Amino acid sequence: MFMRKLASLLLLLVFVVYESMAGGYQVRLQGQKQTGIGLIGTPFAFGASSIFYNPGSLSFMKDNYSFSGGISPIFSNAIFRASNSDYTATTDNPTGTPFYFYGAGKVIDEMTIGIGVYTPFGSSVSWDPNWMGRYLIQDISLQTIFIQPTVSYKLNDKVGIGAGLTIATGSVELSRALPSPVNGHFNMEGNTVALGFNAGVYFNPIEPLKIGVDYRSKMTMKIDNGNTAFTEIPQSLVDYFPASGNFSADLPLPANLDAGIAYDFSDKFTLAAEMNLVFWSAYDSLIIDFKENNERLADARSPREYKNSLILRLGGEYRISDKLTARAGVYYDPTPTNEKYFSPETVSLNTIAFTFGLSFMPVEGLSIDLSYLQLEGMEDDRSYEPDNFSGTYKARTFIPGIGVSYNF
Amino acid sequence: MKFKYILYIIIIGFLFSCKPELEDYAVSSGSADFSTYVALGNSLTAGYANGALYRSGQMYSYPSILAEQFKKAGGGEFVQPLLDGEYGILPGKLKLGYATDCLGATSLAPVPDQGNLDPLVPVGYAVNNLGVPGAKSFHLVAPGYGNLAGVPVGTANPYYARFASSQVATVIGDAIAQTPTFYTLWIGSNDVLGYATSGGIGDTITGQNTFAYVLNTILMSMNATGAKGAVANIPDIVSAPFFTTIPPNGYVVTQGQADTLNLFLGGFGFQYQAGPNYFIIEDPTSQLGFRQMVQGELLLLTLPQDSLKCAYWGGFDPVLQQPVPIPRQYVLTTAEVNSINAAVEGYNATISQLASQYGLALVDANTISKELRDGLVYNGETISSTFVTGNGFSLDGIHLTPKGYALIANLFIESINQQFGATLPEVNLVDYPANELP
Repeated sequence: MFMRKLASLLLLLVFVVYESMAGGYQVRLQGQKQTGIGLIGTPFAFGASSIFYNPGSLSFMKDNYSFSGGISPIFSNAIFRASNSDYTATTDNPTGTPFYFYGAGKVIDEMTIGIGVYTPFGSSVSWDPNWMGRYLIQDISLQTIFIQPTVSYKLNDKVGIGAGLTIATGSVELSRALPSPVNGHFNMEGNTVALGFNAGVYFNPIEPLKIGVDYRSKMTMKIDNGNTAFTEIPQSLVDYFPASGNFSADLPLPANLDAGIAYDFSDKFTLAAEMNLVFWSAYDSLIIDFKENNERLADARSPREYKNSLILRLGGEYRISDKLTARAGVYYDPTPTNEKYFSPETVSLNTIAFTFGLSFMPVEGLSIDLSYLQLEGMEDDRSYEPDNFSGTYKARTFIPGIGVSYNF
Repeated sequence: MKFKYILYIIIIGFLFSCKPELEDYAVSSGSADFSTYVALGNSLTAGYANGALYRSGQMYSYPSILAEQFKKAGGGEFVQPLLDGEYGILPGKLKLGYATDCLGATSLAPVPDQGNLDPLVPVGYAVNNLGVPGAKSFHLVAPGYGNLAGVPVGTANPYYARFASSQVATVIGDAIAQTPTFYTLWIGSNDVLGYATSGGIGDTITGQNTFAYVLNTILMSMNATGAKGAVANIPDIVSAPFFTTIPPNGYVVTQGQADTLNLFLGGFGFQYQAGPNYFIIEDPTSQLGFRQMVQGELLLLTLPQDSLKCAYWGGFDPVLQQPVPIPRQYVLTTAEVNSINAAVEGYNATISQLASQYGLALVDANTISKELRDGLVYNGETISSTFVTGNGFSLDGIHLTPKGYALIANLFIESINQQFGATLPEVNLVDYPANELP
């Protein structure tokens, strides 16, 4: 019954949108167990969800087959107050729903193959269409779905390696108002496919100690023939701002290097720590290259100059009984944004987050996993200098998650 | 069952868990008291735009914008001598429309915006916005400047006549009668503008001593009421699009035409080449009574452009085989530009000195008017002194758009906050309109 409901819920959410959290537009909600423990994944062999977190540990799964799926609705809001002004605005972001599904099976004892479908990047920010920053952004939605066939090989009892090819489909949609004297509206949307890889190593030197390292490559969402639409343009300017046109743009999805360690202090209690180096410096600028330029319509080049960020995570797991496990974690995710180029299209602040998780195992092999993640984007004064747009931002995000995994 | 309850608890948790909040902006008046605010000045203070003073323009006057912000810090009602209509009491309002020139080309240009004028009738109540279009510095202290009977004969100003308290009232006297606690003053542009907009031949520049004496009189009188205040200096007059829109080197010729011109005029120091060249202007001080313009000289927006395009103004008449100099009233020569700049500089030195003497907030309109030549960006929108599309200046090329006036209001706020330790919030420039293109 529950499974069927969950399956239909998953189907309903095929058209996913999800929102900016901390750390640019990356969303690491690819397994509820990992989410519960501070989004730490590399030093664990939780089964099929290792396809995302560390393909190297996939071959350490205990059963022959492992399936796992879940969703994490995101309730996210940001508030802005303009500098030297009593003006405030809040986002009215649609509820986003990242999801994941993994399936893996052992081919031979040492080798496991699997496939994962998940959504590691996304952002959906919606400001009021008439808000003060309308010439920078009204709303933006970035969606990606990754498909990752994966092979994992257990070299010996202590070391596993694994790698997967990631095939990403992505789409982006963006709306802006155009300032006087045009006073119109601009919308663009496009989609694309990109390729990358995900490779990891899992090391279990002594029974209680697990170490994992994972690298997910940079991918560039190259949109080649996206659509642009200028609307509400004064009659005298319609020749310059065509109702329909095309653009190209590159949006980088940065590489990640994750390294984690977990230690079982007893049969019941495990502590883990992880660091994620996110190579955000790949996001240098957002360039909207219009296919047809004219004297009033030049390509839009907006500097972003993100810098690499290091996320530090700490988490613990307590196995209360054979049927119940509890998890908790905290992490700090510093903003990758540049001092001069903080755009309200991605309200990415220095963020502290805490997580909770619970797993119920009603029958052998079945685990129902709940997680809760709360992110506090810390109040900060930020500005986007090229547009002379500055103010104070703060953000808060709640993400409850539910998933199920079945191993046999 | 158990986890279902926990799920419920989590969901209920969201519903009540608040969105992120920021502390409210703390508004304060500092050491100033905004309860009774009066604004003194000229057309810029009245809200004049597009060649006229009309109701919606008055609503966007910078004193009106300021008063709204003052209200957040204890400010009271701000009464303006609002007109009923959108066309003013005198003809001359402009709008953007399509005009066809002598060559048959149609383009977007300011065209007359005709409608029913308001009758010249006194409003019958005291006003807080005492901005009088056309007023020079000394007019603010001139008795009878608002005498209705003097309007037809040119001894009084119709805009002041609408709200003058009596036939012998002075603007400054009417301001003091309001027992103001705070005032703004922006006066002096017309002391040089009449000269500038007539090509240096239709008006005289108010002398520095007169200006200093009058300004001191005004400030001393206002100071005696105990009111605090802010005073703005004079913008860089020649940066306004009225003076910068028509290029002095807009005379475009072919190589063949250039050769002919050099043959006729080369001996007198005129120089022509294929492409754009400096126009020829009248100049009684020159050898021929006319000469080519030089860099830094300006053509006025009132110059009939059809005459440039079709009557050989500024160039050479091929039929009569003679140059056609542009008349003096459309030109500011180097000497005239220098006189204007020297006057503005002198006035501004006086304003700075008196502002500091009387403890007033000094609003530097001059610097920002120069910065507007290159354009300033606010919240992703550019404001510049480019004519029509620059967002800052209205269609007369001298007065501002609502967005331009809002920018001035923010300048006042910035300097008032600084001088009096107040924390008035600035206004959002993006919410104020500029010239609307059809």
